[in-house]
Amino acid sequence: MIRAQALTKRFGADQIAVDGIDFTVEPGRVTGFLGPNGAGKSTTMRMILGLDAPTSGRVTVNGHPYGAGPAPLREIGALLEAHAIHPGRSARNHLRWLAASNGIPVGRVDEVLDMVGLDSVATRRAGKFSLGMGQRLGIAAAMLGDPPVVILDEPVNGLDPEGIRWVREFAKQLAAEGRTVFISSHLMSEMALMADHLIVIGRGRILADSSMGEFMREHASSYVRVKTPTVAEAKGLLTGQGVEVNAVDDELRVVGLDASRVGDLLCGRGLVLHELTLVSASLEEAFMALTADAVEYHAHAGRPRDAVLEGAVR
Amino acid sequence: MSTAIAATATLPAVDRSPGFGAVLRAEWIKLISVRSTWWTLLLTFVLGAGLTILMCWGNAEWLASPEADESPGSFITWGMMIAQICAVILGALVVTTEYGTGMVRTSFAAVPARGKVLLAKAVLVGGVMLVLGTATALVGYYGGNYFLDREGIGLALEGDVLRAMYGSGLFLAGIALFTLGLGFVLRHTAGTISISLALMLILGNLVMIIPGEVGEWLTKLMPGNAGSAIAAPVPFNPMLLDPWPGLAVFAAETLVVLLLAWVLVRRRDA
Repeated sequence: MIRAQALTKRFGADQIAVDGIDFTVEPGRVTGFLGPNGAGKSTTMRMILGLDAPTSGRVTVNGHPYGAGPAPLREIGALLEAHAIHPGRSARNHLRWLAASNGIPVGRVDEVLDMVGLDSVATRRAGKFSLGMGQRLGIAAAMLGDPPVVILDEPVNGLDPEGIRWVREFAKQLAAEGRTVFISSHLMSEMALMADHLIVIGRGRILADSSMGEFMREHASSYVRVKTPTVAEAKGLLTGQGVEVNAVDDELRVVGLDASRVGDLLCGRGLVLHELTLVSASLEEAFMALTADAVEYHAHAGRPRDAVLEGAVR
Repeated sequence: MSTAIAATATLPAVDRSPGFGAVLRAEWIKLISVRSTWWTLLLTFVLGAGLTILMCWGNAEWLASPEADESPGSFITWGMMIAQICAVILGALVVTTEYGTGMVRTSFAAVPARGKVLLAKAVLVGGVMLVLGTATALVGYYGGNYFLDREGIGLALEGDVLRAMYGSGLFLAGIALFTLGLGFVLRHTAGTISISLALMLILGNLVMIIPGEVGEWLTKLMPGNAGSAIAAPVPFNPMLLDPWPGLAVFAAETLVVLLLAWVLVRRRDA
């Protein structure tokens, strides 16, 4: 379990990277840590690992500050930057020194190499690794101490689709084993597939802290699309139910009734129905809406704020 | 690759910290698992012993002649003046490549007591340079003295000559430690190497230009100068401090740099 209390980090006098945040990362589920670039995700993760000292507030891992336990790698495994490896050192030697530093038996090195699929290139110099192989080596390092808490900063960066799927399954399995899994990303679509719980951060503040389902209900509006040749009658009927109905182009958008109820109503009146679809906003869109004001660097043209991406909830 | 990771049972539980021995072992694996270490050590040996032999071979006849105004004792560890460049490079690389790649964050996450990381690096680099420097000086002595002997001006391996052998080891160890400390302060490879070399080789000679007693004392106290007397039976520069007082000054200066590094490495964000 990771717990942050009034955690704050300032750089210099006027830049607040993390602004008094409180959150708890519970075991047994994948918690996604979402935020645009510069939101404070990496700074928060560095503070969890005792690399950056908080300006005020505190963060604990398993009830104590990082480093207070006997062997930190056995308590918390972390992937921070994939290519933070000496380019001339082999993957195995990188893991060997890490294992030695925490009194982890050297046999574990081969186990984690096999786990991430790097066993065949273990003696190759890490400088020759692709970004994806670097990510896998970083994940192997995180798992070296078989830790109950795992932190992965942007773990799918640079991975091919197969690698992304692997990380996703891997994270889910770690959570299923009862571990605390904390994964940062700016890729909403990836979080939607991986996380059970979401913590959204923007400009150093927590914008949302809820389950994935709750988050969708609260922040991603959905509606039922109705296409019918008898628009006027259908609209009258549905408006009579006390719900919000908007006519857009040749369709009706119904908010507040589920699709089957809409179908029953129209059918009961004998109205012809050409299409009946539940349209859900994607996590991407929900996130954009939530952090619209918190993004540090905007691209001003063509931001797809109003584009509704259909049916991409889960 | 298997997704089946399975909570592994191969790890025995620990109830106490693995301690300094574990950090030392980790740093040792780091040190010997990159090629740059081996190249630097090889170069230390080749330059340190090779140049000494070369200089003795080239100057033996002159040193034995009446025109000679230098002592054979100044030539018998000549290569060490150049080998110190390798000590600078090793001392820097051991620290600054970690900062350059960002690996230092992995190091400090694995060993949150950062002072231990600094200490382990210092013990290993200092130890390696002490042993290698002494061995290099001995090989240079045996090779160089062969040519001096042929001219009848050979030196016995005793007294100041013997002291210059392990003195060379102490000198290289000191140079490497000084630079290692500087590396933690500056966190940048090129900056660390150039500032250290400038202090040892350029500034050390430049201050001699300053007139009067100020220049004389600055010359005596510059780290490269103060530490170098221990490495030669007869220093080229007669102004230098005596070997042991010189080494004491150099050791104190190195300690100051290491202490500054220790304070900064614990206080700064990684």
